[in-house]
Amino acid sequence: MIVTKKAIHRRTMLKGLGAALSLPLLDSMIPAFAEASTAPVRLAWFYLPNGIDMRNWTPPAEGALPAELPNILAPFSSIRNDVTVISNLTANWGRPLQVGAGDHGRALAAYMTGVEVYRTAGADLKLTTSADQIAARANGSQTALPSLEIGLEEARMTGNCDNGYSCAYTYNVSWKTETQPLPPISDPKNLFERLFGSDIAESPAAHAKRLAMRQSILDSVLGDTHKMEANLGPSDRRKLDEYLTSVREIEQQVEKASKSTTIIDPGMDKPFGVPPEYADYFRLMSDMLLVAFKADITRISTFMIGREGSTRAYPEIGVPDGHHPLTHHMGNMDMLEKVRQINVLHATAMAAFLKKMKETKEGDSNLLDNSLIVYGSGLSDGNVHTHDQLPTLLAGKGGGYINPGRHIIYQRETPVANLFATMLERVGVRPEHVGDSTGRLAGLTLS
Amino acid sequence: MADTPIGVVYNTSMTRPDAALALAAMYLGELKRESHMGAVCVVGAGFNAALFCDIIGKMYSFGQKNGNQALAVGLAIEPGVPDSPMVKTAVEHNYPRTLQRVQDTSLPEAVLRNGVIFNTDSVVILSGPATYLAKSLDLQGTKDLYKARVKRLVIVDSPTQDKDAAALRKVIAEWPTPIFFSPKAVGDALLFPGANLDKAFAWAQPHPIVDAYKAYKTMPYDAPLYDLAATHYAVHPDSGFFTLSASGNVVRADDGSMRFVPGSGNVKAIAIDPAKKADLLAALITASTEKPVQPAPPAGRGGRGGSGRGAFGASGGRGVIPQGIPPAIAK
Repeated sequence: MIVTKKAIHRRTMLKGLGAALSLPLLDSMIPAFAEASTAPVRLAWFYLPNGIDMRNWTPPAEGALPAELPNILAPFSSIRNDVTVISNLTANWGRPLQVGAGDHGRALAAYMTGVEVYRTAGADLKLTTSADQIAARANGSQTALPSLEIGLEEARMTGNCDNGYSCAYTYNVSWKTETQPLPPISDPKNLFERLFGSDIAESPAAHAKRLAMRQSILDSVLGDTHKMEANLGPSDRRKLDEYLTSVREIEQQVEKASKSTTIIDPGMDKPFGVPPEYADYFRLMSDMLLVAFKADITRISTFMIGREGSTRAYPEIGVPDGHHPLTHHMGNMDMLEKVRQINVLHATAMAAFLKKMKETKEGDSNLLDNSLIVYGSGLSDGNVHTHDQLPTLLAGKGGGYINPGRHIIYQRETPVANLFATMLERVGVRPEHVGDSTGRLAGLTLS
Repeated sequence: MADTPIGVVYNTSMTRPDAALALAAMYLGELKRESHMGAVCVVGAGFNAALFCDIIGKMYSFGQKNGNQALAVGLAIEPGVPDSPMVKTAVEHNYPRTLQRVQDTSLPEAVLRNGVIFNTDSVVILSGPATYLAKSLDLQGTKDLYKARVKRLVIVDSPTQDKDAAALRKVIAEWPTPIFFSPKAVGDALLFPGANLDKAFAWAQPHPIVDAYKAYKTMPYDAPLYDLAATHYAVHPDSGFFTLSASGNVVRADDGSMRFVPGSGNVKAIAIDPAKKADLLAALITASTEKPVQPAPPAGRGGRGGSGRGAFGASGGRGVIPQGIPPAIAK
């Protein structure tokens, strides 16, 4: 670590005409001779739709993750010591119980909240605050954005999406209150501007002026950047340069995507400015999340990989069929194989994101080490809509909170909310209950 | 028979033959659509007791069930708790089972609560230690849930009941719906004829309940039917076989046994109507030993199945052999 004469404040921003850009954690932000890293812990929930081909997900034994992981988890092999595979968690309120059909209508909402999902296709929605928003309510004031909701399908707030369940339940991961979902941002340009544009510091007039001049946000803050660089050591100058380069690359990708006219799939709404191939779309959006975490713009995020019941097709990997219809394979091996391919595609994109997190240095550690990121679903077997034995992968160490690299099998009926309660505890949030939680996950944390 | 089968949540230590017979009666009741198994939770015994319950469930069910249809047997994992000697022979047999390891069992406080959620209306039978039923009362919204959905809680007294007096006191104090107490005398008065055991289960030999019964004590002996009688009352409170006391409370005597004390309190004790004792015993034996029959499709898909009187009444014993019984041992 380079010890500089004067520490830079953690929330310093590069400011310019009509723009303000947060900074990543620099060595100079850590007080000299500090006993411990001040890096904050980030929480994120990546939601997988339509369950998983569990035969190719679950490691065969409990304990240390082997070098050779099951097929769908194989993309995580190189970072297996940074992830924890957790088996047997349940989202009980997703089950049919006395209501019956509507498993996709309930799955995501029950998963994130742990409460009964009130069946309505109207405006009288009723759920409760989701786990991420419990954290955001408690800690959100510490960052420019209390939380960041991202999704790879354009949000819908109304309509009947599954047997009388509102689309609001299937398209929204985050719920601020029992009646207020927080729609995910699916347009890359909107996300970029939320992170680096008018939502933070830029006035609407300045924002419009900058866009009219086709000026990069980095150009706007150039003067401030040069001033800051003069006061940084070599290590921090390199970090700052890498960070600004990544922002610029994202900006260019967003610009490129915004000009794309390629249609993704006739059966799916295509948000404006979305890269046509899924992997590119995931990468672009997750890159922005990474920058948001890196620059401490937010510490809490949800990321909807696909809405529950998603019918997205993946022609780029030879799967022209819709995801949801494929998961009702009834044992058809051809359909099952296509489900597996989709599952692997998602996992590959997720693993790439996690690797970037790991490569992002933060003090003496890295961004992944200082995060707890759930990659999971409220359905396990999409064919029969089971809501127990859920596929769950937890990435990161939460700043030394857990010891990853393991497959942990809990007793069945253990609420997935117990995992969320354990994550919240790491950031100092200790609600008496998280939905139907019965406690914390014993054996997951080091303490 | 009720239009909607009532859910049954059974908290047991599965250490006596009457518990095994009660469990069989619960599953037989499900086949007749007079009740529906919500949850079985083993507290106060080891993994083999849970495995035994799983074997019984498998034997008395038709077809595979997923997590939306049946909950895995719960188990309170407590180091040092001895396993039930009664179940050893049965679990060593090659009976079909779904549990392979401790993690295949369900978290006790969660499965007790979720078992109630599984059904519109439920009854809860507390035979094993009350530790986790008490714990479930502290889970968010669960008291309200029990108040809305649990018709009655039946507490069973037996020679091996209750190793957690504090938890039992909490349950009695905080339970939001009617509580009934089945005194030890009820079970003591109803004895299963051990000499007829093999004949009663002749429809499938070997049979895990026969194994357990014979392993419990040197044969022949007649087992008191503590849990089975309480189960009957829980599911069929209007059968006419029982009378009810005025309200009172349940206290623990110095020897560890429970005692009903009339007076203030929210508990009523059940007693056998002496004139109907023989009929009750016959009903209990039939209800717990008859051959499981695959139910007919429900109404709307070929007519409503089940016999007129249900598992605790008389019915025939012909039908398809359940999937859980290997053809080689099914008769």
